[in-house]
Amino acid sequence: MNAPTGLDFAAISERVQSEVQRAIQRSIKGVEYFSSSGPSLGSTPKDELHSRGTMHLYHYRPQASEVYRVPVLIVMATTNRGYILDLVPGQSFIEFLLKRGYDVYMLDWTAPKPEEKSLRMEDYVLDFIPDCVRRVQQDSGETDVSVIGYCFGGVLSLLYGSIFKDGPMKNLICFTTPIDFREMKLFANFADRRYFDVDGLIDSTGNMPPELILQSFEMLRPASRMAGQVQLWENIWNDEFVKSYRMFDRWATDTLPLAGEYFRAITKDLMWDNKLYNDTMTVGGRQAKLADIKVPILHAVAEHDHIVPYDAAKHLITKIGSEDKEEVMLKGGHVSLVAGANAIKRLWPKLDSWLGKRST
Amino acid sequence: MAEKGNDPAVIWQTMIGEMEKGFNSFANQAMTSPEFSKMMNQAGGAAAGAQKQLGELMEKYLLAMNMPSRAQFVGMAERLQSIEGQLSEIKALLQQVHHNSLAPEGGYAAKPRPPRTKQPPPEGERK
Repeated sequence: MNAPTGLDFAAISERVQSEVQRAIQRSIKGVEYFSSSGPSLGSTPKDELHSRGTMHLYHYRPQASEVYRVPVLIVMATTNRGYILDLVPGQSFIEFLLKRGYDVYMLDWTAPKPEEKSLRMEDYVLDFIPDCVRRVQQDSGETDVSVIGYCFGGVLSLLYGSIFKDGPMKNLICFTTPIDFREMKLFANFADRRYFDVDGLIDSTGNMPPELILQSFEMLRPASRMAGQVQLWENIWNDEFVKSYRMFDRWATDTLPLAGEYFRAITKDLMWDNKLYNDTMTVGGRQAKLADIKVPILHAVAEHDHIVPYDAAKHLITKIGSEDKEEVMLKGGHVSLVAGANAIKRLWPKLDSWLGKRST
Repeated sequence: MAEKGNDPAVIWQTMIGEMEKGFNSFANQAMTSPEFSKMMNQAGGAAAGAQKQLGELMEKYLLAMNMPSRAQFVGMAERLQSIEGQLSEIKALLQQVHHNSLAPEGGYAAKPRPPRTKQPPPEGERK
């Protein structure tokens, strides 16, 4: 330590040296960043069992010597791609489930084509999900099926479970699933019925364009994209940081359009009339009440979720009719809850211990 | 090493983090107002309206040029999709028949799969 000035010149010199090295690394890695395509995502071996337009059903090849009796069907959110749950080996929720002995299926989505603009909520809840459940039953040879729904995939699973109350869903797991849409305050304001002409928009565009969906997600944290890019540049010398940034950034910007009629129903029934929360929701004329769901349910919510705030999700457990029900709040945000380092340490083991004993 | 509090890199990172939080919080407050919703939706509505008008104009132009319009292509695509759907159903049926012929007791197990006998590990043994 240099006493008179209070400065440690040796430490400063060391720091300057390290910064110069990082600056050189940034230049080299920066060129690599733009010339490479990033890690390959969603590569756990799987077979496509069925597809119909936007709907795709996959079966992941088992990785354990014996599996639980009850297969698991993951219902992905319709706005995003399923590979968030299957990033890279070691950071894949799917791989984790397979290694822990689950037989895993996924209902994933691709962009609905212009001619699929007329798909309605009933197509998703009364056709796509039951069709996939049937195919999982056929393929696995089992009657019972556990369902895991992520974000809006959770909403679809709740609607399905409340309408098909006599089965075959055996267990339900929801990740960050909103039911009180008034509490999604910013989205509710963007879609204020006095100013948001959903009919005009859908009549003119057909499907809800992905750019608008992405924009509305990004508007929830308008400075974060730019701050993320600054962070990327600072850490571009760090291969692990860059890999992680690329995986999450690619997924976050890989937003899907939503089928026009389906989006219209989400806006009017859920955003405007909050029907799921108010117990007035119907799908294709069939009543969907959360109290009618009686199967064991686990709801995982994130402490710092800016997309689905806790207030929008907290009533799920109280409103559901099941006796065996549990809510677990974990540290993290909307995405880090299910993917990333926190998920590996917190959510996945919790889910395994909850689901394992209910899967025999 | 330089103390954390004096490290310019740490100061810079903290500043960026604080700016991000501050701006997000400020913008979130502004975006909860009805005025924001009105302004945002007016701008969005105008863009969608212009797009619709352009689409209608283009349709008239294509008609005049004796060329198929987007709506006609969409119609054709719908028919193709319905054919694709039927093909997919036929394929699934064929696969089912094939599986059944390999495993007469049910559709399961055209290829060997692990037995469905797994039991959860006793409490306390989970990692």
